[in-house]
Amino acid sequence: MGFEKFLFYVLSLITVWSSVMVITRKNPVHSVLFLVLAFVASAALWVLLEAEFLGIVLILVYVGAVMVLFLFVVMMLDVDIATLRAGFIGYLPLGLLIAAVMAVEIFLIVGPANFGLAAFPSPEPAGVDASNTRDLGLLLYTVYVYPVEIAAVILLVAIVAAIRLTLRRRPDNKYVDPARQVRVRKGPDRVRLVSMATEDLAPAPAGATIADKGESQ
Amino acid sequence: MLDNYLPILIFIIVGILVGVGPLVLGYLLGPRRPDSEKDSPYECGFEAFETARLKFDVRYYLVAILFIIFDLEIAFLFPWAVALKELGIFAFWAMVVFLGILVVGFVYEWKKGALEWE
Amino acid sequence: MPFDAAQLLPILPEITILVTASLVLLVDLYLDDQQKDLNHSLTLVGILIAIALTGAVGGGEARVFFDGNLVRDALSDLLKGSILVVSLLAFVYARPWLRDRGMLVGEFYVLGLFAVLGMLIMVSANSFLTLYLGLELQALTLYALVAFDRDSRKGAEAGMKYFVLGALGSGMLLYGISMIYGATGSIEFGPVAAAVAEQEISNKVLVFGIVFLVIGIGFKFGAVPFHMWVPDIYEGAPTPAVLILGSAPKIAAFALAIRMLVDGLESLHTDWQGMLVILAVLSMGLGNLVAIAQSNIKRMLAYSTISHVGFIFLGLLSGSQQGYASAMFYTIVYAVMSAGAFGILLILGRKGFDAERLEDLKGLNDRDSWYAAMMALIMFSMAGVPPTVGFMAKLLVLESVIRIDMVWLALVAVFFSIIGAFYYLRVVKFIYFDKPAEDAPALLTTGGVRFAMSVNGLALLVLGLFPAALLSLCQAAFA
Repeated sequence: MGFEKFLFYVLSLITVWSSVMVITRKNPVHSVLFLVLAFVASAALWVLLEAEFLGIVLILVYVGAVMVLFLFVVMMLDVDIATLRAGFIGYLPLGLLIAAVMAVEIFLIVGPANFGLAAFPSPEPAGVDASNTRDLGLLLYTVYVYPVEIAAVILLVAIVAAIRLTLRRRPDNKYVDPARQVRVRKGPDRVRLVSMATEDLAPAPAGATIADKGESQ
Repeated sequence: MLDNYLPILIFIIVGILVGVGPLVLGYLLGPRRPDSEKDSPYECGFEAFETARLKFDVRYYLVAILFIIFDLEIAFLFPWAVALKELGIFAFWAMVVFLGILVVGFVYEWKKGALEWE
Repeated sequence: MPFDAAQLLPILPEITILVTASLVLLVDLYLDDQQKDLNHSLTLVGILIAIALTGAVGGGEARVFFDGNLVRDALSDLLKGSILVVSLLAFVYARPWLRDRGMLVGEFYVLGLFAVLGMLIMVSANSFLTLYLGLELQALTLYALVAFDRDSRKGAEAGMKYFVLGALGSGMLLYGISMIYGATGSIEFGPVAAAVAEQEISNKVLVFGIVFLVIGIGFKFGAVPFHMWVPDIYEGAPTPAVLILGSAPKIAAFALAIRMLVDGLESLHTDWQGMLVILAVLSMGLGNLVAIAQSNIKRMLAYSTISHVGFIFLGLLSGSQQGYASAMFYTIVYAVMSAGAFGILLILGRKGFDAERLEDLKGLNDRDSWYAAMMALIMFSMAGVPPTVGFMAKLLVLESVIRIDMVWLALVAVFFSIIGAFYYLRVVKFIYFDKPAEDAPALLTTGGVRFAMSVNGLALLVLGLFPAALLSLCQAAFA
């Protein structure tokens, strides 16, 4: 138990420290990287709580995908940190006061008085071959099947909304479609032979004749 | 419970060593004679004109968000696949509906050209 | 696990809307620009079928489905019906505006339908999880609708504000839900209510959770002091989006409040009553006072929304069946009035011009006397002038607070509604007693819009004269 507790405190410390770094770094890219660290440490905390599947999903989805998106957004925007921070000091005392009040309130409520071991005895550790991925599956697709389908609809809405809001056609783009290039047939698509009546080489001014010849070639 | 994670701990340690080791070795063994010109950023000998950060195109964002959506779908597929034997045919159809809804979105994004990189 | 197909019966309206939305999404890909009206027709047909199905599967005893995630009762039947009817009106009003601006694309209908789907899921939710997912579905589509006009900077700004504040509200709500779950060990309303009644765990955690739930409800309703987003979003978003955002979602927000506070936590009524009193008084006061100073009609209607939300809270906080029924009556009536008011604004707009200033309503009577009459009816109803239904609605909520001996609250409400009457009647003055601008062109309208607006406006009058039918439905929902 002693080592687990030690691990818990180390991981919590990393989480809290990296979260503080997220909001205090000047460079947004650094903030995102600290957020990644915070997520990894939280995932480790979940694994410590024997919620292995959630820990893996946190890494897979948040670190693997959401953070990449964050990085893209940070790179995409030309964020001027100086102007963003202009009011920072002015709002700091009020912000700190509210944060402190909230923290005390939350501690009083969530603290040991209400959620201590007396009210919630620690559960028996799961067996070695317990799989919480399987347990989750057994619940998700029986009891919670209706919420799962709603989740699918939310994902569909996300697709539609993202495409509607960001996809723009760029007609001025010089863009080569390889599929169309490959599909060009050797005969009819490349050269078109046109049969036409022969034309008299009428006597004409010298300049015009040259121009005509140029066109007919 | 933590005993199960011993191989992973060893793996992490080896990983860190492989990553950090060469840097430390280079730091310790390589000759270093810094001066101000060497340490300043340069562009082919010029002074740097602007910051190295380039603005990304919004299309990266679209690709990333479409990726996240299907990444999340995978998160739903794992528990389903693991428990499917016990869940039976009902869960199978539940997942067919789930995927069907997302396929509608997939058809939409494909046909709309969101997957193309003009 | 054997599956009972009867489980699907109560969600037939939801399934219809989902299928319609998917169909529109796919069909739209293959349509030319001239054929986009098909999206509109499909949407209307889908909503009409959903209304019919709501009636067909509705009625009877309340029953719980999907292992306690879904409930079908008199409340969900009536609210589903009203949401669908109001949304139908909204889609009819929006078409000419959208076509005029080349925005008659499938995505508008798809997002609108998904918003409707989210609201339907919310009103029939029987657990915090379903309720929250429905809310997120609705909110996500509304964020996108607000930013729907991609080339409008104001629209993008409004969308961003709405998204950030909406996400904050959802976060608060979720935090409250987690507290309730921690205290009761369940996310289903029935077991939560049972656990709360047992009072096993200290009351403090529950009350702390309720604070966050009420904050979340306040955000979603746009009640003072969580109203900051309302005026900016109403002003910045394209008017059809405001029409969808400002009408039916209020009904869904009402369901959100009823399901959480009444179905789940009614025995803690004394704890949440005080918070709702504060929200109600502030909303009525600030909404009505600030609305007077607005010159932009969309902003004015935004502040008017805030004041109406205060009245809805009056009914909710009374904690009696009569109070809940009157709040429900008020909410449904408000959704209809709001749809009508924004519908008129859409009719007044034309390509490259949106009716945004109060002056744009000047001389509406000379330009089209029928629409002028409808707008006047809507304004009278919002002000609470008899014999329109707005008067009945206000009377009922006032009665419910007087019954619990909060006469001072009723007096405050009457005082602010008299102040509020000023700016509604000013609109009527603009319509009837001012000359239209010289260059005012003919109104952009179609037969369908005229028909829908007539139904909408006259409904306010008919419901005011004969409120018994709707009122008895509302009372049956809480009997």
